[in-house]
Amino acid sequence: MTSILPLPPEPAGAAIVETRFGPLPGDPRQVVLMLDPLPGFESCRRYVLVSSADLDPFTCLQGLDEPRPSFLVIDPLVVEPTFQAVLPADGRRRLEADDDDPLLWLTLVRVEEGGQASVNLRAPVVVNARRMIGMQLISPDTTYSIEHPLGSA
Amino acid sequence: MLVFTRKRDEAIVIGDGIEIRVIRIGRDSVRIGITAPKDVPVHRHEIYALICAANLSAAASHKASVESLAKRLRAVPIERAKPTP
Repeated sequence: MTSILPLPPEPAGAAIVETRFGPLPGDPRQVVLMLDPLPGFESCRRYVLVSSADLDPFTCLQGLDEPRPSFLVIDPLVVEPTFQAVLPADGRRRLEADDDDPLLWLTLVRVEEGGQASVNLRAPVVVNARRMIGMQLISPDTTYSIEHPLGSA
Repeated sequence: MLVFTRKRDEAIVIGDGIEIRVIRIGRDSVRIGITAPKDVPVHRHEIYALICAANLSAAASHKASVESLAKRLRAVPIERAKPTP
């Protein structure tokens, strides 16, 4: 499994994407199309990844279709170095990924008031960066937690 | 909700290309076969609902706490799980 981090933010003056965390530098044309919408946000198919120094180590996965959800995401290996991603049998085919196409793995972060945070390791989002298509993996496998604790309390 | 009574091997057709068939009927469970186009997601309801709730929760992350958490994580390396011996 390979995991690559998103590119650093564009220099000042570059395109801006509106997110719940404020306007962030990012190219709204760099759209990731979700093959299946994320459960809970069935009308949103297009997303863009945006970063900022203030959000690091998180990146924002910003939905471009209503209701324009803003997700914080993080590389699962940063949270759990032994994390083993499992693609379903037809995963690479659906993502139109050749065997040597790198896949970007992102896990959704939940932050509660007070700073308690957890990461959904059970249903990661996987993106074929070359084709700019992705999907959230939904399976009955309970190896990993939906609320894997992040950071110390 | 449309409700049908089906016997073993009987099926239901939905839209264009989705078929639900009763494969086997047991005492406490029913084995169901689904035929659907590859681009139509099919999931056990309770699993879909669980991920749905988790996604909604993630999208409602407490904004004000995010930046301070990010700052804290940058200052101190994220605690790693202890390697198994």
